Amino acid sequence: MNRVVQPNARPGVLAGATIVGVPDRLAMRRRVLAAVRPYLYILPTFFFLFIFTHYPILKTFYLSLFKWNLATPKREFVGLANYLQAWSTPLFWQVLQNNVVFAVGTIPISLALALALALLINQRIRGLAIYRAALFYPTLLPMAAAAMIWLWILTPSYGLVNFYGKALGLPDIHWLGHSRLALPALMLVGIWKRLGYYMVIFLAGLQVIPEHLYEAAILEGAGPWKRFWRVTFPLLSPTTFFVAIMAVIDSFQAIDQVYLMTQGGPGNNTNLFIFYIYQNAFRFFDMGYASAVSGILFLILLGLTVLAFRMLHRRVHYA
Amino acid sequence: MRSRPFWRLPVHALLLLAGLVVVIPFLWITLTAFKERNEVFSLIPQWLPAHPTLQNFWGVLDAMPFWRYYWNTLVVAFGLLGVQLITITLAAYAFARMEFRGRDVLFILLLVQLMIAPQSTAIQNYVTIVNLGLLDTRLAIMAPYLASAFGTFLLRQTFKGIPRELEEAAALDGCGGLRFLLYIAVPLAIPGYLAFALVSLTYHWNEFFWPLVITETNKARTLTLGLGIFAQTAEGAADWTMLMAATLMVIAVPLACFLIFQRRFINSFMQSGLGG
Repeated sequence: MNRVVQPNARPGVLAGATIVGVPDRLAMRRRVLAAVRPYLYILPTFFFLFIFTHYPILKTFYLSLFKWNLATPKREFVGLANYLQAWSTPLFWQVLQNNVVFAVGTIPISLALALALALLINQRIRGLAIYRAALFYPTLLPMAAAAMIWLWILTPSYGLVNFYGKALGLPDIHWLGHSRLALPALMLVGIWKRLGYYMVIFLAGLQVIPEHLYEAAILEGAGPWKRFWRVTFPLLSPTTFFVAIMAVIDSFQAIDQVYLMTQGGPGNNTNLFIFYIYQNAFRFFDMGYASAVSGILFLILLGLTVLAFRMLHRRVHYA
Repeated sequence: MRSRPFWRLPVHALLLLAGLVVVIPFLWITLTAFKERNEVFSLIPQWLPAHPTLQNFWGVLDAMPFWRYYWNTLVVAFGLLGVQLITITLAAYAFARMEFRGRDVLFILLLVQLMIAPQSTAIQNYVTIVNLGLLDTRLAIMAPYLASAFGTFLLRQTFKGIPRELEEAAALDGCGGLRFLLYIAVPLAIPGYLAFALVSLTYHWNEFFWPLVITETNKARTLTLGLGIFAQTAEGAADWTMLMAATLMVIAVPLACFLIFQRRFINSFMQSGLGG
């Protein structure tokens, strides 16, 4: 590039105003260059985005209309049969139910704890950095490592939880092999892993609440309890809602801990969406059905994320 | 909020309790990793190793291709970051400071990447990778993330904040276009780059599911996947001390970085929440 082109100036005006007596062809070239430049800048991003994001979304819905087993490469068009198959498969509903139970069991507890901890840490106290690091570090860990840590802690007889459980008079429990306790055990891992992350998001929300509102509340004689419910909680509600949606999305993406800790068992009691898709696609090679389930998950998550983005938008206006 | 002295004691007590509950699992596995193999099979908890030993860590190096996994992880995480820095810089600059037809629609099409779970496109991406002949390569692990909506979004905010006058003044001095981007806009956006880099490196260091789907041998496998596979081998499953040593070896460097640059990490992750 041999001269400056204002990115947002209209190229025609610029060329006409500043270049006198230059052959038309050169001016023309600059005009074209200025017009295509933004597209050249976004080209690398959109090249990869198309291949690995847009195309697979469309293709997933397309493939969901076929019976296609990887072992026999012939595809057969079956319309909505894969979706009907999901509808009439009890396991599909169980997986959906597991995921809902997982979400409902994880999210209110995580959010309440994260908010409480954010309120505590938002006080000006000594040792704040240490507390924050202690609560936040699991966010940094791979879920695979978290799974290993909890496999060991929950292990029967020798695990830390059973040691102290027995001291309190509880029986020796095989948490991950228990049909009713395996899913709560995975929830515990999820809460432990995400708590610190939600806490710092709440902290960010708390820090933009203007101090003068608290001062006004104190002048009116409002105690800490009243200040929380009248000032903090309402002003924080967009953050709360946003974190809640994010937590729901997280819960629908849970797979690593399922794969490493329970393999969906016992008896599919911890089989969650992504693991179910994985099983169908890469163990039973039923790509058509797996695509249909992916499509359903995609629509669920899209709905939730659109909601989250709208909340985020509202929060930006608050701040 | 200001807190009066008598409030501080319960605040400390509660934070200490919560902090301990969150930290104890890590403490427990760290101590386990230094114990002798059979020491853990005790019915009364022994916190401190009776005879502290490093044999588990040496054992891990013998039992799995640890350094191979480490190298793969470094190549994937940093190689990916390198490409992402180029793609997000160009795209963010165009979206922040240029006007062109279809810009808003294209921006929404970009944000689609933030709205979907990467796992929900894994099947079709697997087919694409097979067709490209990239199965079981490090490039395949990086491929779906070469463009980053989060990074573009984050940088676009930063680039938008650069005053128009600065750009005009630079243009008068002959520093326009790509040179303005490289010499003025990019240096001004370094905090944004840092936030993105930390989130991206952490995410890809930790990723498990996509590498699991797309690799078949140890050739391209990363640390977390190696750890998962090791846990499912007879050797790993029967030996808790060695498994905990392996876990510790996988998380040691990122954790140390976090402890040193705590504030940077936390601020970066705060922004990742805002970006979606």
